[in-house]
Amino acid sequence: MPNLRTLLILAVLLVLLIAVPPFLGLGWQNALVNVLIASLFALAFNLLIGQAGLLSFGHAAYFGVGAFAALHLMLAVEDGLPFPTPLLPLAGAAAGLLVGLVAGYFATMRSGVYFALVTLAIAELFHSLAPRLEGLFGGESGVSSMRMPWQGFTFGSMIEVYYLTLAWVVICGLGLWAYTRTPFGRLTLALRDNEQRVRFLGYNAHASKVIIFAVSAMFTGVAGALQAISNETANYSLFGSIVSSQVVLQTFVGGATVFFGPVIGATAFALFSFLVSDLTRSWLLYQGLIFVLIMLYAPSGIGGVVHHHIRNRRQLDWARLAGPYLMALAGGLLITGGVVFLVESASVLFGEEYARLRHAAEGGLPAFDLFGAEWSPVSVLTWIIPAALLLGGIAVLIRARREIDTLWARKDPSDDTLAETAPLGGEA
Amino acid sequence: MEFAIISTLNGVTYGLLLFMVSAGLTLIFGMMGVLNFAHASFYMLGAYVAYAVSSIFGFWTGLLVAPIVVGLVGMAVERFLLPRVHAHGHAHELLLTFGLALIIEELIKLFFGDFPVNYQMPGELRFSAFHIFGTDYPFYRLFIGGIAVVMFSALWLLLTRTRTGIVVRAAERLPAMAEALGHNIPLVFMFVFGTGAALAGLAGAVAGAFYPTNPNMGLELGVIVFVVVVVGGLGSLKGSLVASLMIGLFSSFAVGLDWSLANLLGLFGLGDWARSVGGLLTLELSSVSATIPFALMLIILLVRPAGLMGERN
Repeated sequence: MPNLRTLLILAVLLVLLIAVPPFLGLGWQNALVNVLIASLFALAFNLLIGQAGLLSFGHAAYFGVGAFAALHLMLAVEDGLPFPTPLLPLAGAAAGLLVGLVAGYFATMRSGVYFALVTLAIAELFHSLAPRLEGLFGGESGVSSMRMPWQGFTFGSMIEVYYLTLAWVVICGLGLWAYTRTPFGRLTLALRDNEQRVRFLGYNAHASKVIIFAVSAMFTGVAGALQAISNETANYSLFGSIVSSQVVLQTFVGGATVFFGPVIGATAFALFSFLVSDLTRSWLLYQGLIFVLIMLYAPSGIGGVVHHHIRNRRQLDWARLAGPYLMALAGGLLITGGVVFLVESASVLFGEEYARLRHAAEGGLPAFDLFGAEWSPVSVLTWIIPAALLLGGIAVLIRARREIDTLWARKDPSDDTLAETAPLGGEA
Repeated sequence: MEFAIISTLNGVTYGLLLFMVSAGLTLIFGMMGVLNFAHASFYMLGAYVAYAVSSIFGFWTGLLVAPIVVGLVGMAVERFLLPRVHAHGHAHELLLTFGLALIIEELIKLFFGDFPVNYQMPGELRFSAFHIFGTDYPFYRLFIGGIAVVMFSALWLLLTRTRTGIVVRAAERLPAMAEALGHNIPLVFMFVFGTGAALAGLAGAVAGAFYPTNPNMGLELGVIVFVVVVVGGLGSLKGSLVASLMIGLFSSFAVGLDWSLANLLGLFGLGDWARSVGGLLTLELSSVSATIPFALMLIILLVRPAGLMGERN
């Protein structure tokens, strides 16, 4: 429900997003652009999985189509077409909508696993054909263009691109949110929960799903166009399975059952990859671990867990919960420390540099540098530390979880009639 | 003639290899309804385990250990991870295996690096089987095919001729009924999952010594294996054999053929028009050989989702 507090939080967030970036460095501005694009992509994707219950494994197709459409329009603008640069994402929207209508018509003929496979096949078709079609997708090297100035805006600096992206993402985000409040938005949820009944009520389920798919593809196309504007280039790798799988990861880590959940996931992943990718080579491994842990222990994602707490905030004894929650946090940090230590030392010990060191030491196992200290791979101490961190963390977590469970069980049960309706929901 | 015979031989052996991987995937899907995204990762894991073991204990030990290790990993996944998400539906099971695929790939990169490893067949298998059209045909290709045939026969006999096979087939068709009759169905599921994973591991161990062993091999093969099981019919072992051979033959023939839609239209006098249009119409078959399987998969999914030999629509 859009109550006053939520609106206030969103307004503050928007003011921050407008006011802070001019004082940030170029790297941060660029990272924020990526965060915004990823957020819009994940929101558009979640229209399908979160609200219509359709799991697409090929959303890269519409992202890429949007990007290439925008680039071709940019090339036309370079050649003198009088088209305002800020409206370039409209090309992405149009291309996404068009391709989405066609692809959606076929994909939504199937449901469940088969739907996922159809979308996967469509994306792979694009991915394998794009490098062969020079005219449309520029072959292996892709298509490049320049942002042209418009009405005094040069679009030469990152901050102008940032504000353009922000404006589009906010408008599209509000559009997607407004969509959920319309009768058709309610029908979307109904299709997820009980398609047969929707059909029985006289709606054309297939046509509705095609429209939902096309809307999702359209907003995905806008996200792709924004990326094209920011990068000024795109090639066929945009259609790759990595793009499709990233949005799946982000959406489910953020939480598919809550409207703004995907934004949490997209922000977390895009920011982390900006902050961490310089520090470690194993960022993708951590991403995979986080995703699997979320799937196992909090299937409704970060957003779902937060939402669950907010809804029950009046029934919970926060003073008594604070202790176990801090304990759980400490346990989580211990486990994270242990895992990071093991992964990073493995990446050092099995790396090329260490192989050279070993060669120099003639078969011995020389000490290695990690976290500013020196560790010997044959010393017991080196391996006791991560083992202790892991075991300690697990013990603390189990204990904390038991206490949290008992405290949750004691909450006022009067609110339980509002139980989760979403099939993706439910957590401890 | 030379092209036809060599391509047929290569196509059949590649198809049999595809079948080794897809057999497990389709068996698991047919039984538990889980589309295992990590299955091709099991194939890659098999190649790397075999590489690691064989560099110390020799090729044959590696070939033996790899399927066992991968099978155990598969059983652990089925036993400890999948039940946790089962309550949330098939979508979550699929997502979990998808996450596992990512983790396996990244772990392999962590331990073995981003580049191909030097996993080679042993010297005693490195000879030519026969001499044909002035070139030697490597014996190892036949070895890959032979392993697949032996494996398929063993699996077939196990499923159709033994008591265990009857229980497994009963568990596939009506799990609740089979359980009511006193069979330990969770155990059956675990072993089927483990066997499927072990088969993929064996395929990886055998094929890794011939094809490049790198961290992308899982992803590359994975999408093709999906094509195979969908075309053959999800859950149908026979279907996936036929589809494997089909895709294998197709991909070995396609690389050598320069047919295009323009040529086809040329038969009706539209060749010049097609060439002037360009784009899709002038693409040669050899350059779109990676695309055709996906187009085929798409058509099958839309026209006959049960596949060539599947029963359930």
